[in-house]
Amino acid sequence: MSNSMATSAELRVASADMALLSSEALPREGAPDGRLLELCRSGDAHAFARLVALHEGMVFNLAARLLGDPEEARDASQEVFLQVFRTLARFEGRSSLRTWIFRIVVNQCRNRQRWWRRRRKDRCCPIEDLTPAQEARLPAGAQGESPYESARRGEEARQVQAALLRLSFDHRAILLLREVQGLSCEQVAATLRVPEGTVKSRLARAREALRRELLPTLGGVSP
Amino acid sequence: MTCRGARNRLSAYRDGDLRPAEAGRVAAHIRSCAACGRRWATLRAAVGALADLPRLEGSDGIAARVLDRLELERRGPGLALVFRRWGAGRPLILPSLVPAALILMVVLAGALALDRVADPGPLPEVAWRGGGETWEGKSAPSGSEGNPLFSSAGVTAPRARGTAFPDRLLTEMAEGTLFVETVVARDGTVSAVTLLYGDSRQARPFLDALRRERFEPGRLRGRPVAVSVYRLISRMDVLASIT
Repeated sequence: MSNSMATSAELRVASADMALLSSEALPREGAPDGRLLELCRSGDAHAFARLVALHEGMVFNLAARLLGDPEEARDASQEVFLQVFRTLARFEGRSSLRTWIFRIVVNQCRNRQRWWRRRRKDRCCPIEDLTPAQEARLPAGAQGESPYESARRGEEARQVQAALLRLSFDHRAILLLREVQGLSCEQVAATLRVPEGTVKSRLARAREALRRELLPTLGGVSP
Repeated sequence: MTCRGARNRLSAYRDGDLRPAEAGRVAAHIRSCAACGRRWATLRAAVGALADLPRLEGSDGIAARVLDRLELERRGPGLALVFRRWGAGRPLILPSLVPAALILMVVLAGALALDRVADPGPLPEVAWRGGGETWEGKSAPSGSEGNPLFSSAGVTAPRARGTAFPDRLLTEMAEGTLFVETVVARDGTVSAVTLLYGDSRQARPFLDALRRERFEPGRLRGRPVAVSVYRLISRMDVLASIT
């Protein structure tokens, strides 16, 4: 199907009215990708809005951790979904939709990082400096924790993010896909388009690199 | 198992990718070797800390922005540029040109205003010393005959047309020194001649000759201005030594 299929289809998007997302006819989260993809391919803007809403959190999180800058991550996320929309017709379904989107995120962030380096742009607004309203929801069980505990947790997250940004892009990507997004080695291999053996050896090196970076803060860890 | 062998397998051990026998050997090694045990603990803690990173929330509005962009691409900017939600999406180039144009206009207006201050406009008509010391009760404008300028880097000196006075005056002059100020008016005539030093009777023929002198007027930024010119006229007879 040509790329112009979706763009030429009638896009009924007078505004980005997110009320559309509650449409009963659209697949819910956790539903198979097939039906949603079918609707998206037919140019159904509601279905595409649903697809974006289902995946924007994971796309933004991966981009933000890869780039270390929330603003850049928002822009990258926007570009990712535009690319998803433009290339949806070419998606053959050999990997899952989630894996395919992750691949686009990683490529988009890699290109953005190259662009930064070419322009010596090393500005970086630390993610962990976001206001609490924008900042993470704490994991279950952390509700009602003391201010000290909250501050300690925030500081730990800052140190981990800083260590992550000191790693190479490939190491960062593989760690985030495997440890944060919870992909299997097989899925990571499909996302990065490298053999599974390469994923395992690269993962081992990335874990060791992260361990070295975090070693000063892991002083209290006992075997 | 050696330390090196165990360390090379820690990542696979963590993922449960080792065969049971191999995993057992690694487990036994890290229990018995303090260095490898610590390495295993720190690796587990580092990876655990990464997995515990909080989920970030800041993706609100991405869907809206994407759909706006798609709509914009489908229809072209058109009125969407005018009616798009304030602050939504990336600013397009056109709105950013408006403040740029305003800034440019302010800069140009400032430059024009400064240029006007630098150009004082036409000087008053040539006035002669005596009646022109002041101009309508105020100090005479700089560069006019009542307030002449001095030759400087910015003011070109007047150039005399011909000689100031005949040689006869010099040969007939008695020994002495005269110091004279001549104000060259903007039209090249001499508006005032003042003897600053010397004998007035001896100076009289010189002053008369100087009043008749004509000049190419001095100029400031291309405009003729009145300029003061000073002359030292001196005669000294030197006698031959007696041998």
